[in-house]
Amino acid sequence: MAKIKVATTWLEACAGCHMSFLDIDERLVELLNQIELTSSPITDLKHPPESGVDVGLVTGGIGNEDELAEVKMMRERCKILIALGDCAVTGGVCTMRNPWSKEDVLRCGYVETPSTVDGTLPGHEDLPELTERVLPLDQVVPVDVYLFGCPPNADRIWYVLSELVAGRMPKVEGDLLRYGMDE
Amino acid sequence: MSEIHLTIDGVEAVGQSGQTILQVAKSAGVDIPTLCHHPMVSDLGGCRLCLVEVEKMRGFQTACTCPATEGMIVHTETPKLAETRSLVLQLLFYERNHYCMYCPASGECELQDLAYRYDLDHWLFERPAENKDVDASRRYFVMDHNRCVLCRRCIRVCDEVVANHTLQMAFRGSHSIVSADLGLPFGESTCVSCGTCLQSCPTGALVDRRSVYGGHREQVDRTPTTCMQCSVGCQIEVVSAHNRLLRVEGVWEAEPTNGLLCVDGRFAPLYDEKRERVTRPLVRRDGALVEASWNEALDAAAAGLRQGGVVGLATAANTNEALAAFKTTMAAAKGKVGRIGKTLPCVKASATAAVTDIPAADLVIIAGADPLEQNRVLGYLAKRAKDHEAKIVLVADGENTMAPFADVKLTSAEVGQLAGLVAEAKQPVVLYGAELTDAAKGALEGLEAKFLGIEPGRNGRGMADLGIAPLDADGAKARLLLLGEEKVCGCCVPTQNGAFTVAVASYRSDVVNEADVVLPAPIWAERSGHVTNLEGRVLALNSAVTMPKGVRDEVDTLADLASRL
Repeated sequence: MAKIKVATTWLEACAGCHMSFLDIDERLVELLNQIELTSSPITDLKHPPESGVDVGLVTGGIGNEDELAEVKMMRERCKILIALGDCAVTGGVCTMRNPWSKEDVLRCGYVETPSTVDGTLPGHEDLPELTERVLPLDQVVPVDVYLFGCPPNADRIWYVLSELVAGRMPKVEGDLLRYGMDE
Repeated sequence: MSEIHLTIDGVEAVGQSGQTILQVAKSAGVDIPTLCHHPMVSDLGGCRLCLVEVEKMRGFQTACTCPATEGMIVHTETPKLAETRSLVLQLLFYERNHYCMYCPASGECELQDLAYRYDLDHWLFERPAENKDVDASRRYFVMDHNRCVLCRRCIRVCDEVVANHTLQMAFRGSHSIVSADLGLPFGESTCVSCGTCLQSCPTGALVDRRSVYGGHREQVDRTPTTCMQCSVGCQIEVVSAHNRLLRVEGVWEAEPTNGLLCVDGRFAPLYDEKRERVTRPLVRRDGALVEASWNEALDAAAAGLRQGGVVGLATAANTNEALAAFKTTMAAAKGKVGRIGKTLPCVKASATAAVTDIPAADLVIIAGADPLEQNRVLGYLAKRAKDHEAKIVLVADGENTMAPFADVKLTSAEVGQLAGLVAEAKQPVVLYGAELTDAAKGALEGLEAKFLGIEPGRNGRGMADLGIAPLDADGAKARLLLLGEEKVCGCCVPTQNGAFTVAVASYRSDVVNEADVVLPAPIWAERSGHVTNLEGRVLALNSAVTMPKGVRDEVDTLADLASRL
């Protein structure tokens, strides 16, 4: 049987979900016998191949134009898209800026902070524009599996992946459903 | 009341007429989810989570308000109900900030529990980007309107349990918020910081400043014990983690006050205790108090007390066990024992009242006491009686915090009117305190009412039961003072006047600083033993945290001292 192809990416996230993914520890060896990790933020290849993959794990909310493009690309190239972690599922902690305009948020962060002297707003063509609001994945693209958690612990990530490897759609319910840091 | 029979989820359930479906289901062991329901207050059917299907009734019924009737066939967990509850939860999560990841209530939140129960694995609706204010104007706890589910439990406990009526809803629809006194900051309102709303909040909307992020559920220890801040004896649970005190909660099901606490019991001991603790035995050497070992200190204490002419004085901030040990030790020292602090006048009463009689009374006479100031929970209970049309009669010659709530205010000279008022009442209750004047005492005696004496000392009733009464201590050559954590000063403890003094105390004070030997004592949360409340109930104290190293229980200290005499 061909290995299933898996790609991961992180958007507006703290990397904690990927750390938790690595926390599946020695099971990674077993996992890598059964999957092909085509790309991830922590490997050389960052994006899944155009030919597509079976499973995409996305962590983080969507807070700028690059992330918006990234999640759309992930959706196009992944048969099953998994929103991994509170930020991907709900927008999470990044949505704290949503009550204010992006201009106010930038000014608050780069100009008005008490420790800032002569601050200027960052502006460069390489820097992506912020979106008006931080959004969860499913406000932009359809999501197939949701896994809450800040981060979801390694066992729950392992459960989701091992179900997919076994050819089943994971059901995140009962004790597998935990919000935030309520592990 | 008659027996009624229902079928709930296929189970035969027996209830009483007048009960709701929720009550009958609960007694039959069927768990219907609730959110706005709280056992201490009336139900309003607001949150829609307790919806059930009743055969032959149209639509869904709210189990918390729907009266149970004979022959009802009720279904509480159908796919349709699960779908509806799930949608209700989606709407609740959508309306405000219910991001668990940075909420202090996560891990001990009723909204979260319900979302788990109905498998909300994602949110259907994007949250509107609107921030409500956070009201941090109160000293002990914070109101974050963004975490509020508008269940109105806080409003109802403030009305029905505390009878303080500070809270109400303001605005309409999604703009609704819980408001204090029609829009004042909570800290400037009539709020009395009893914390009953805090304890009844199902989410992270009301948060205790001290214990926030201190741990939840399995991470904390809960020790049932008795509040020792006054003589009412409210039953509390001390919440601690890793031997650190987090907070105090009332026990809803436990008499005498059924979960009702006051600022003095819930917050003050944790937030406002600034006195310096005595944590090592101290002996006076070359004029100064210096640290000593327990053996040295006990030897020095015994040597001083052996010289004779000893008087023992105890405060009411001690357990029954410590007071009994105190008497034994004083017998070994061949000295008399006496009480520090005010005592309750002896009133000949036709019948005695329990604390639970106060809210059920139709006439509450308060004489020689200021319950709202000194034993606040009794004041709240009297106000609760007033909410049920009871008359409050205040007998006071000076200012009294209860005065704004009194229907009749009498001075000691006007107490003749009491007999007429009592004659009109069906369930009169008399609360009398240490400031009772002779005239008022005379007028009260003989009234056909239930009497409750408000002991001024924390365990004053326990002291009285042990026969420890005030005593003239002048001329003593040596003194043993059992102070506990009582705030003592020169006006309640007679001046030392050269007498050799041993103080068993939890905190430093002027009296302690003048002593010759100081033996450290535990504080409320560290004690075990019993106290006797103002009704005469013997209530247990259980130690929630261990004593600091160097502190010993008074019972052991006094026994060791006695063996040296």
